[in-house]
Amino acid sequence: MKYHVFTRINAGDDLMHVGTVQADSDRLARIYAHRTYDEEDWEFIGVVHEDHLIEVDPQPIAGGRAQ
Amino acid sequence: MSDDGWPQAAVDYVQAIADTKLLLGQRYGEWMLKGPNLEDDISGASNAQDEIGQVRQLFRLLQRQGVDEDWLESERDPEEYANAATLDAEAEAWPTFIVQAALTDRAAWLLLDAIDHDDFTGMVQKMGEDEYFHLEHHDGRLETLAEDQPEAVEAALERYVPQILAFVGPATYDAESDPLVGAGFTDRPAAEIRGAIHEHYVTLFEGTEVSVPALDDDVPDPESWDGTRRRVGDSHVDPDVVDQLQGVSNREYVIA
Repeated sequence: MKYHVFTRINAGDDLMHVGTVQADSDRLARIYAHRTYDEEDWEFIGVVHEDHLIEVDPQPIAGGRAQ
Repeated sequence: MSDDGWPQAAVDYVQAIADTKLLLGQRYGEWMLKGPNLEDDISGASNAQDEIGQVRQLFRLLQRQGVDEDWLESERDPEEYANAATLDAEAEAWPTFIVQAALTDRAAWLLLDAIDHDDFTGMVQKMGEDEYFHLEHHDGRLETLAEDQPEAVEAALERYVPQILAFVGPATYDAESDPLVGAGFTDRPAAEIRGAIHEHYVTLFEGTEVSVPALDDDVPDPESWDGTRRRVGDSHVDPDVVDQLQGVSNREYVIA
């Protein structure tokens, strides 16, 4: 399962997407993210399961004309 | 306890923890390019670095107690290493390795955390920050392996649990009889640590097909237990591994 890794250096900053990890559980994803992306002294590091990302998918609006 | 000189039993205790961490570093290193995915390899490499760093600190303390630096680093025979017997040989498969590392790393941490001496204040807390990630990685992996390969996990537990109990110490070492507790060097007897390790894995594997071997008070047999090397018998790590630990093949490049 793919997890996206988000971090920030300073409190209040926007989160940055720094990469991904493959993990079989949330517990492992937390550890892998910390171990893989620990070069910086992050104020925050978090993971999001790819299935939990909500796709923004613009749809053409119907104009109401008879087809 | 704040006296500078440790009792000999305490020197032996710290030596066993340090040698176990030295071998843990070796075993993590062997597996850091063989894990099932890149994330496991990176975690293994980080764990190896942590362990070797901790060994440096523990060796420094042992030298202050009069242990010879050359003996610690490069002049020991295999039977003089006091590592947990779980690490004598490389695990042959991934589930076996995870059980081997999990049991040994947790036991070494609990023995270290039991030390109640000024020389370790602060240092153990920092080591605990490293160990959090090691133990979480193992437990996370064991959870998934218990689902995918319960027989392999159970077989490895049966193989390693008796050796890890010998490393921790005999069941007869309780609050009244553990000599290191009596000396004020530790504040948690071996019997209590044995129980904590067993309970941890029983809880971890609850609801899975993995059974944890029963906590056997006769393992190790107190009469035949070697309190210096914290095992039963005279088995030891492979001489080839000792050569690697001591840098034998690259000794000509040592910077004097």
